Amino acid sequence: MSTATSAPPEPAKHELTVVKNAVCTFCGCVCDDIELHANAERIVETKRACILGEAWFKNHTAERHYPDALIDGKEASIDDAVEVAADILYKANMPLVYGLSNTTCEAQREAVWLAELVGGVIDSHTSL
Amino acid sequence: MSCTLGEVKNRADFIIYWGGNPAECHPRHFTRYALTPKGKFIPRGRKDRTMVLVDIRETPSAKAADIFLQVRPGKDFEMLSILRALVKNQKVSASAVAETGLTLEQLTDLVSRMKAAKFGVLFFGMGLSMTRGKHMNSAAALTLAAEMNAFTKFVAMPMRGHGNVTGADVIMRYTTTYPFGINLSRGYPRFNPGEYSTIDLLVRGDTDATLVLGADPGATMPKPAIEHLRRTPTIVLDPKVTHTSRLARVHFTTAPAGISAPGTAYRMDEVPLPLRPALKPSYLTDEEVLKRIVAAVKAKPPWYPAARDGAQIA
Repeated sequence: MSTATSAPPEPAKHELTVVKNAVCTFCGCVCDDIELHANAERIVETKRACILGEAWFKNHTAERHYPDALIDGKEASIDDAVEVAADILYKANMPLVYGLSNTTCEAQREAVWLAELVGGVIDSHTSL
Repeated sequence: MSCTLGEVKNRADFIIYWGGNPAECHPRHFTRYALTPKGKFIPRGRKDRTMVLVDIRETPSAKAADIFLQVRPGKDFEMLSILRALVKNQKVSASAVAETGLTLEQLTDLVSRMKAAKFGVLFFGMGLSMTRGKHMNSAAALTLAAEMNAFTKFVAMPMRGHGNVTGADVIMRYTTTYPFGINLSRGYPRFNPGEYSTIDLLVRGDTDATLVLGADPGATMPKPAIEHLRRTPTIVLDPKVTHTSRLARVHFTTAPAGISAPGTAYRMDEVPLPLRPALKPSYLTDEEVLKRIVAAVKAKPPWYPAARDGAQIA
């Protein structure tokens, strides 16, 4: 066994991480047998995913195309945006929390808690 | 009455898709869960299953079907009611049958096949639940499946669209006892679809602020609803700057669930699955942003009146 002849490790940027049994959340099938090959920035291969799943995985990257937060269309810090958002919901008489589809159950639970806290309505795509 | 997709794979020898187009909208539903896989009691896979497609037009899914029944648009409830009558050997009028666009022979043949099945599944899509009749159609489909259990095992399952919408139902059910459209303004949950459902609230202009999470109503909702979102302050959490973000007061960019945000998602048969993100998050997750908003709201005095000292509940 010789370590001297082994090739030097590739730079991390080009190294592919493989995630087996990854879960696709595009449609309600939530297929959990996808094999994802990803570099630091994007998913480059989606084994066993359907055309919708492949498009979904490749459509989102780790690149930062947008600012963390916007207030009235202008770039803002997360802290400021959180303050403005909390103020809007707190002052509203009948706030609505809506959507909840393309997100995790953990976030959905926080959304229910928020709706209760501000005394509002909570609703999902189911009602459409 | 429902079951998991694993039971469908292993047991279902008779499958109906009603008002859905899985070939294009749930591409792996046929191959991974319902139609072609071999199961414990379905040793020959597709050969051991019969598939019926009911829809208003011949979609690409019809190619995969053994029987395609083209129902006249808006007549799903009528067709379901006739099937329920035929299941119980009741007489149906020829004019009622003619209204559905199908023949009595087609419908009686369907019923006899349903009764002959060992394990039947009725998958229903938005073509049934979102067209004329809406929740009444879903109720009729569920009742038909329930009544079939006098003859054989039969279940019904909605074909859910958007990723984790099933999770939203489950989470709201276990936190508030209701699945969607819940009003918490009195401090306890009230449920009334049509009154507390989003489109109705927005079109009537009942709300005065909206937080949108994992959805883009600005691209999909009717114009009066979008106008109300624009008129009132709106907050958006989304991995991209969406149509709704453009009319919102506040937008947060968040990590996309399952791609860079970890967590849990429910499959359409209510099986929860842990996500395995392949990328590191470059933004906060929805959960983290919501936790911060919750903390900021909690720092303010409660909006409801404080209980008086020594006050007794009458």
